[in-house]
Amino acid sequence: MGETSSVIRETEVPAQPHQPDAGMGWRWLDRQFARIAVLPTALTMLAIFGIPLAFSLYLSIEGWSADETLFGGKFAGIANYLVLLTDPDFVASLLLTLGYTVATVAAELALGLGVALLLDLDLPLIGFFRTTLIVPMMMTPIVAALCWKLLLDPDHGIIDYFLGRPIIWLGQPWLALISVGIASVWQNAPFVTILSLAGLRSLPHEPLEAASIDGASRLQSFWHVTLPLLRPYLLVALLLRTIFEFRAFDNVYVMTGGGPANATLLLSVYTYQASFVQFDLSLGAAASWMMLLIALVVCLAFVAVIRKGGTQ
Amino acid sequence: MALQRIGTRRSRIAFAAGAYTALVALLVLFIFPLLWIIGLSFKTRVQTFASPPLFIWTPTLENYIKVLGTGDFQQAFINSLLISVEAVLLSICVGVPAAYAFARFRFAGRNWLFFTLLVMRMLPPIAVLVPMYVLFSKLGLTETRISVVLAYTTFSLPLVVWIMRGFFEELPRELEESAWVDGASRFAAFRAVVLPLVQPGLVAATILCLLLAWNDFIFAAVLTNDATRTLPVLMASYSGDVGVDWGSMTASGVLVVLPVILFSFVAQRHLVAGLSSGAVKG
Amino acid sequence: MTTNTSTKGPGRRALMKTSMGAGVALAAGSWTRPVRAQGKPTKLVYVGDNGPWHQCLVQEVAPAFEKEHGIKIDFTLLPIDALVARLKAELSSGAGAIDIVQWDASMAGWVSRHMQDHAKLLEQAASRHPDFDWADFLPRVQGMATYDGKLSGIPYRVTTGVLFYQQKLLEQAGFDKPPSNFAELLAAAQATTKQGLPHRYGFGVMGRQGPAMLGSFTPFLRSAGGHYYDPKTGEIFVNQPPAVEALQFYGDMMTKYKVMNPDSLTWEFDGIIAGGQNDQFAMTVTLAPYGEGMSDPKLSKTAGNWGWSLMPGKDSIKQTATYMAGWMLGVPEGAKHTDWSFEFIQMATSKKWLRRAIDLADAPPRVSVLEDPAVLAKHPWAPVLGESLKTAVLDHQDPVWSTAQLPLRTAISQVLLGQKTAKQAMDGCAVQWERSFRLAGMKG
Repeated sequence: MGETSSVIRETEVPAQPHQPDAGMGWRWLDRQFARIAVLPTALTMLAIFGIPLAFSLYLSIEGWSADETLFGGKFAGIANYLVLLTDPDFVASLLLTLGYTVATVAAELALGLGVALLLDLDLPLIGFFRTTLIVPMMMTPIVAALCWKLLLDPDHGIIDYFLGRPIIWLGQPWLALISVGIASVWQNAPFVTILSLAGLRSLPHEPLEAASIDGASRLQSFWHVTLPLLRPYLLVALLLRTIFEFRAFDNVYVMTGGGPANATLLLSVYTYQASFVQFDLSLGAAASWMMLLIALVVCLAFVAVIRKGGTQ
Repeated sequence: MALQRIGTRRSRIAFAAGAYTALVALLVLFIFPLLWIIGLSFKTRVQTFASPPLFIWTPTLENYIKVLGTGDFQQAFINSLLISVEAVLLSICVGVPAAYAFARFRFAGRNWLFFTLLVMRMLPPIAVLVPMYVLFSKLGLTETRISVVLAYTTFSLPLVVWIMRGFFEELPRELEESAWVDGASRFAAFRAVVLPLVQPGLVAATILCLLLAWNDFIFAAVLTNDATRTLPVLMASYSGDVGVDWGSMTASGVLVVLPVILFSFVAQRHLVAGLSSGAVKG
Repeated sequence: MTTNTSTKGPGRRALMKTSMGAGVALAAGSWTRPVRAQGKPTKLVYVGDNGPWHQCLVQEVAPAFEKEHGIKIDFTLLPIDALVARLKAELSSGAGAIDIVQWDASMAGWVSRHMQDHAKLLEQAASRHPDFDWADFLPRVQGMATYDGKLSGIPYRVTTGVLFYQQKLLEQAGFDKPPSNFAELLAAAQATTKQGLPHRYGFGVMGRQGPAMLGSFTPFLRSAGGHYYDPKTGEIFVNQPPAVEALQFYGDMMTKYKVMNPDSLTWEFDGIIAGGQNDQFAMTVTLAPYGEGMSDPKLSKTAGNWGWSLMPGKDSIKQTATYMAGWMLGVPEGAKHTDWSFEFIQMATSKKWLRRAIDLADAPPRVSVLEDPAVLAKHPWAPVLGESLKTAVLDHQDPVWSTAQLPLRTAISQVLLGQKTAKQAMDGCAVQWERSFRLAGMKG
């Protein structure tokens, strides 16, 4: 089935929709459809996001300090970027963030897809499960992070109570990182679940029916039929989660603030510190653009790998 | 995917039993922290900090009374509601046609534009926080809700376009083409044939946009003032220099999440509507 | 002021400079005019943080002001980070949308240039408020509100770090006076650390790697005679013996003698207060006004147990020194209603209202309030605050401090975790500082 859809996608000329006898206006409108449909999006993004984006890029190449007005700095070229690359904290943060992102996104995908598969079943009362299992995602992130902080508290939290030992989750370097990761997965696996479930619900029936007629087991039909069909939806989920997780901020900042001893100093926290603690908006802007570049590279790599896998 | 008639009746029952077990286990894992948070909203500060933690206690409504009692909460709720609804509507109405265009047409600059949209989304939002503020300030929009709505729309648009494009692309063209052959215009075919089939995608996109707008904090904190502030900004005020007001924080957290849960409960039925009968795909 | 949003580059720059210039001119021109002549606004915009000591301002002073003058105060109270973002954006754009800025002493290096000269504002308002008595403000605190020779705001709250101790616990352990030096502090901490559940340790600190951390460490540094750096020359003192010894002692309390709560590593301001209220430590060094929270019988298990005293000196109490910080209220350049804004500020910081403020969790910087016997009876930590101000060292206000803090926090965290010795950690911090100072163009 996947093959067939891609063939259709490559068709050069679509069949023409019927024109109501309203005349020239409609015909022209329809031909321009693509441009008209895309224009509002392009305009909105350009005006509201594009201008600040350009400004932020400008800031990053400006040697700005707090004593100047926003446009008053001297041109500094890539100086800010060099400052970042020669800062051992930045490099450490970059590596940490890459590792953290890979781990959490993998966990989110696995858990999210697993839950989606379960929720796809038309068992009685499934509606209840469908609502409740995506609730963690609905909570305001800051509130959820604060509550996780309390949950993990050695003296007043229930997790240590159940474990029976006063583990100081947010006070040990590795444990703090894992704690932040767990909170993130808890909150964001439902994101993957929603997308996967929507995808599962949009899949055609025939391939699965054909597989079961051929005598395939559940596992086989999942692996060889369902999963390839889900590929486009999973790709969307994967890329979106990677982008979001790469710049995850709320959880880390609330739970650990980047510590202990920089163990959870993710790039987003580094950038935040540069912009709003150090008051160096141009350095912060440069750090943000570095993050964008890195995210871009990672995503392009993903897409290339998945594309390659898809054409086999 | 309806329950497949795979295997014997016995193995199907075993499968169902296994599924339920897994679901309940997941429920406990996911929901227990949530239940604890809800419980905190019914505790006094002293009860919250009881060591060992209290599982049975006399609940109190004092936190809810305190939070709801001030006019602040109602005002913030209205602001949040208006801003979220407007942002979601704007994003969907603007983004869905664009996604359709990306999926169905080949036009100049298509890939480049799509790529740019994605790249824009990759930039950490705080990079544009101050520039956006300056922009709105120059436009004179800082005391209105519009600035926040516009900001949220720019975050949601790429999301909507991305998700919906995926769904549109997976829809075979024959469906629309047969509608055209039957005499429908492009718009009519879109409304009658395409939209219902991408309902799951629409619902998913709507939920995600809603969450983005409903739960954002940092942009609301900078772009709103006392009159236009949203619920997350109000909730942040419960966490201050001298400690988190856990009662108010969790009570308001529960109140804030309830509308979204309600919305999801209604929406999830549409999320899974999909293809109940296989005949449509032919 | 017209707005031109379509051009970027030189056009915008010129526009920004013109609008700021216009703002300055407006502010300058309003010196000599009496209050009533300025067009009366319907409201004034106040932007500050959301600490819990605003009750007096929001619920009592503002309504009183509204009653007297018919002007409403529109409060926007944000968490500190959001406040910084907002002020940065707002003040850099020069739009004049904020009427009253609440700024913290450590922001002085950056915020001061956007503020008006408050000495001139005081002068101008002297006839209207003859009993304002600027001299009643502690001289150290007046200095806190001054940067580069310009008085940039009127102080509203002042905080120092003082020693909190549970009197009964110390007495039971054989200490009838609070510790006066580091050795006594250690001995008292060891004697009051309880083995077994529920835990109580001798000494609690704010050990989370974040803005609160220095509130617990700086008193040790100062009392050992250490310094951080010289902002004018860029000379670094943080890895010199006094500072290193202070940090080593601090870290040893956690790693070697184990008299510090391990979960201190997750505590910031709220954590230390909760810890005190829940009887998790016998002593701590933290902000003086937190005495209110720890003594509140409704919230605290330890209400009534606390005593306050000066931070112990390294070898003797004579060496005691601690930090000084606080919040100021100021009128920014380009504000549209300078006279009315300042009128509110003077009301809020008047003798009458600051005396009321201390009942509502503030720590006012007026001598008359801090030495009022009625106040001392109700707020026993107040005299210690006043006493500690005599030897308090003002926290850095230069713009580089915010950058310098980051590696410093890392170093302290590493020592508390036992990852490095104090010397190693401080040397690492010094390397980062050298780099930052060089980039900032500081000599040295």
